[in-house]
Amino acid sequence: MSDGQARGDVAVELANVSRWYGNVVAVNDISFRLDGGITGLLGPNGAGKSTILHMVGGFLAPSSGSVTVGGAPAWHRPAMYRRIGLVPEREAVYPFLTGREFAEANARLQGMPPDEAAAAAARAIALVELEDAADRPIGGYSKGMRQRAKVAGALVHDPPILLLDEPFNGMDPRQRLHMMDLLRGMAAEGRTILFSSHILEEVERVAERVLVIVAGRLAASGDFREIRRLMTDRPHTFTIRSSDDRALASALLTDPTIAGAALDGGLLTVRTSDFGAFSRSVPGIARRAGISLHELLPTDESLESVFSYLVRR
Amino acid sequence: MNGVVARITLRQLLSRRRTLLLLLLGGVLVLVAVVFRLAGDQLRALPFTAGLLGTLGIGTLMPLVALLFGTGAIGAEIEDGTALFLLAKPLRRRTVVLTKLAVAAACSAALTCGPMLLAGLISAGGLGDGLVLGMTAAAAIGSLLYCAVFVALSLVTGRALVFGLAYVLIWEGLLAGLFAGTRTFSIRQQTLAIADAIASVRRTVFDAQLDLTTAIVVGVLVLVVATLLAIRRLASYEISGETG
Repeated sequence: MSDGQARGDVAVELANVSRWYGNVVAVNDISFRLDGGITGLLGPNGAGKSTILHMVGGFLAPSSGSVTVGGAPAWHRPAMYRRIGLVPEREAVYPFLTGREFAEANARLQGMPPDEAAAAAARAIALVELEDAADRPIGGYSKGMRQRAKVAGALVHDPPILLLDEPFNGMDPRQRLHMMDLLRGMAAEGRTILFSSHILEEVERVAERVLVIVAGRLAASGDFREIRRLMTDRPHTFTIRSSDDRALASALLTDPTIAGAALDGGLLTVRTSDFGAFSRSVPGIARRAGISLHELLPTDESLESVFSYLVRR
Repeated sequence: MNGVVARITLRQLLSRRRTLLLLLLGGVLVLVAVVFRLAGDQLRALPFTAGLLGTLGIGTLMPLVALLFGTGAIGAEIEDGTALFLLAKPLRRRTVVLTKLAVAAACSAALTCGPMLLAGLISAGGLGDGLVLGMTAAAAIGSLLYCAVFVALSLVTGRALVFGLAYVLIWEGLLAGLFAGTRTFSIRQQTLAIADAIASVRRTVFDAQLDLTTAIVVGVLVLVVATLLAIRRLASYEISGETG
């Protein structure tokens, strides 16, 4: 459905793309192709997600490799913006314009005549549910409303490709769900949507495909379920406090799901490679050994540790 | 020129606080003229007007107004990130730069020439043998030149305001007074040369330090080079500051 597909070109393609700033490598040899559907760029802050989006959006030149949109280079090609809707991460929107004026200005800058621009702006405003505030200056908007105004501006010319940098920032849960539905609906119409997020659950709920970016590298990519499985099945470490840590350690070592147990400074630490089976078997093992469990804590559940596991994998 | 870019730029530049501040600056010029009219030596009306418009008008008001508008036309948008909304459009970068330059120059000229014309008419008690019109018309051209330089500067550095102020104060204010050669590249001196050519007053009243041909040749050169530089810089605009 996209222009790119109509011409037989891939909507977005990165081939061996790197980008560095002086000696700092922000993006390191990344390749992927997108053609329709929603793709989430997932990674911790500073991983290089924005750099990738900016390169696709034509606002950064790759230091090496090629970034193409609809088969032509993204850099130095303003004509490409007829096909792209861009929602930047930075919050600032012209504070003196109303939401409607902003959407209309976007439509006019896309080359629409005034009547058509006004109708397109009204459609976009309705799509993001901003009708009530549409005639108030953006300067008085909440963060979530400003975000929706930005999305309206990006959608106003009905682009086949949408790039969104942290689009759910500042939205309340209801607005977030609505935006997710909106993106899913647009992807179902054949658009290619690429968005970035550092929040696992956001990506999980909306993206069909995930690109995990860690320290500028593509750590994993593919179907979300596959990535989720990798994340769940990675080795987990727990600390346990019980009525008899030493006896519990010996009892646990007989279980096949336990990869190791150690008593370190009076603290029992257990490693497992099967999170699900482990959590099911621990209570039974303790009960059979006549030990009471006081506390069971995962030691390293931060997103960063999940990401770094994916990189080391 | 693009109407939407022009309207947005205009609303951006003419924020209430900035306009009020610049109107106050222009008001000082008019106030000095009124005081002279009421209490000054009316036989010296022409030399006084030449000094007032040349020093306070062309030498102070014009560069300050152009500095604020020129660096604010694109630089402010780039700084706060709103430039992306204009740049992520199928618009030629040339159109964006030329439109913004035209709006910045028009605003600068309006807020410089208006007070200068009024102050000149009051202190000279009329057109003053073309002195008032000459100074005012030259200030419009000077505003354009300054804006071209400051727009380009704002696309070259994030500290355009500081560098612009340094150019006005150090290069034009200090060096151009000490070394004749530096006057060639002083927009203030080019503007005064044009004013001198339009006005038909005696040399004892007002005499520019730069000849007209040099002023025109260098002025056109400055305008073309600064505008081309701005277009080139905007065409290769890269978002700075990696956030994630």
